Amino acid sequence: MLRLLVLAVAATPMMAVAADGGPTVRDPFEPINRALFKLNNRGIDRFLVRPVARVYRKVTPAPVRRGLSNAVNNLREPGTAVNAILQARPAVAAKATGRFLVNSTVGLGGLIDVAGHHSLEREPADFGQTLGRWGVGQGPYLYLPVVGPTTVRDGVGGLVGYAVDPVSQATGGPNTDFAVGRSVVRGLEARSEADSLLTSVMTDSTDPYATVRGAYAQNRAAAVAAARGEVEALPDFGDEPQGDPN
Amino acid sequence: MPPSLTDRRRLGLGLVAAAVVAPGFAHAARSPQAEAFIATEGQKVLAMLGDRGLGEAARQARLTQSLDALADFQRISSFVLGRHARTLSPPQRQRFNAAFRSHVQRVFLRQLTAYRGSLLRVTGSTARSPTDVVVNTTVRGSSGDEAVNWRVLGAAGGFKVADVQARGVWLAITLQQDFVSTIDNAGGDVEALIRRLEAGKG
Repeated sequence: MLRLLVLAVAATPMMAVAADGGPTVRDPFEPINRALFKLNNRGIDRFLVRPVARVYRKVTPAPVRRGLSNAVNNLREPGTAVNAILQARPAVAAKATGRFLVNSTVGLGGLIDVAGHHSLEREPADFGQTLGRWGVGQGPYLYLPVVGPTTVRDGVGGLVGYAVDPVSQATGGPNTDFAVGRSVVRGLEARSEADSLLTSVMTDSTDPYATVRGAYAQNRAAAVAAARGEVEALPDFGDEPQGDPN
Repeated sequence: MPPSLTDRRRLGLGLVAAAVVAPGFAHAARSPQAEAFIATEGQKVLAMLGDRGLGEAARQARLTQSLDALADFQRISSFVLGRHARTLSPPQRQRFNAAFRSHVQRVFLRQLTAYRGSLLRVTGSTARSPTDVVVNTTVRGSSGDEAVNWRVLGAAGGFKVADVQARGVWLAITLQQDFVSTIDNAGGDVEALIRRLEAGKG
């Protein structure tokens, strides 16, 4: 099975560009993905994840939330440093290491983003991006309940990143209470932060599924382009717009 | 003995310096004119949103004005239709353009409210060609700094924004993927999209 997945990923072009413009992903499982998207948004997210995230946002004072968010992000810096090294980006690795050291000490265990306040802003890196940096294609697009949008490459990258995360390794592995608690806070933070954006996508898009898929493809293409030190490929806007704009 | 705060700061600064001087960055040409255009027009939009003295109707009118000065609606409205752009009849084109403009204004007004009173700071730009520049900014709001990039087409005196990127996602490209999918799923019928936009859905 793993061999099949690797073959599927390797056989995919590194970054598919739509006939119209902008990066996109192959979606051979679109009917299943759309069904899971609907299930997630009309069921799991609507009745479980979103209410929990909203309660978390309501009962947790903003400064506490920001502190937790900073601390969770800080614990990701060692993983970022490792991936940046694997991507041959010493400057990003040095920045992640510097951020981790400064925020873990002066920033009270990561609760305060002191480094960020001094223009040393976060530049995350992950293992899916590392695979993309070295030419591994995205593979088919997948929409997974709770997890959300991903591709075979990024899904595998996420699992590897989770299993070998330096902080997890240093604190007893990915199955400890600490690791689980950290994942829960990270998930709550991410869902809570994305709440207005997701509401807007569901309200403002004519096809929310296509919007989420397109946004995901762009976001990942930009991450891989950054890892390669390339200028992001952007579509041509054309020189001959038609008709009256009014 | 544990390292003192000063030592830690020195270490942090050393790492910062290493990050800054490390090799590997390509320096593309910047465009000071495009940067100045975004600094002026972009900040105008944020200031207008933060003006609490404006009523809703006045704010809508000012937003229309600001977006006209800032964005190339004609070019964007063709772009977002993708390969379907050339299939529209002139009356359909007129209806689509009107519905699309209302859609963008509605979405912008709702989404930009989060940036009300924020400060926009230009941090750099990349000239992809003499008439195609990506201007990098950070918008400082209540929840911290957010990177926002602007794709500016044209030349000095005639700059217009064609696309805006936040959180790594370009708005016009995303709209194109949304609209093209909607038309494709309706069997290539552009009317399906126009009707949805006219109804204020999507």
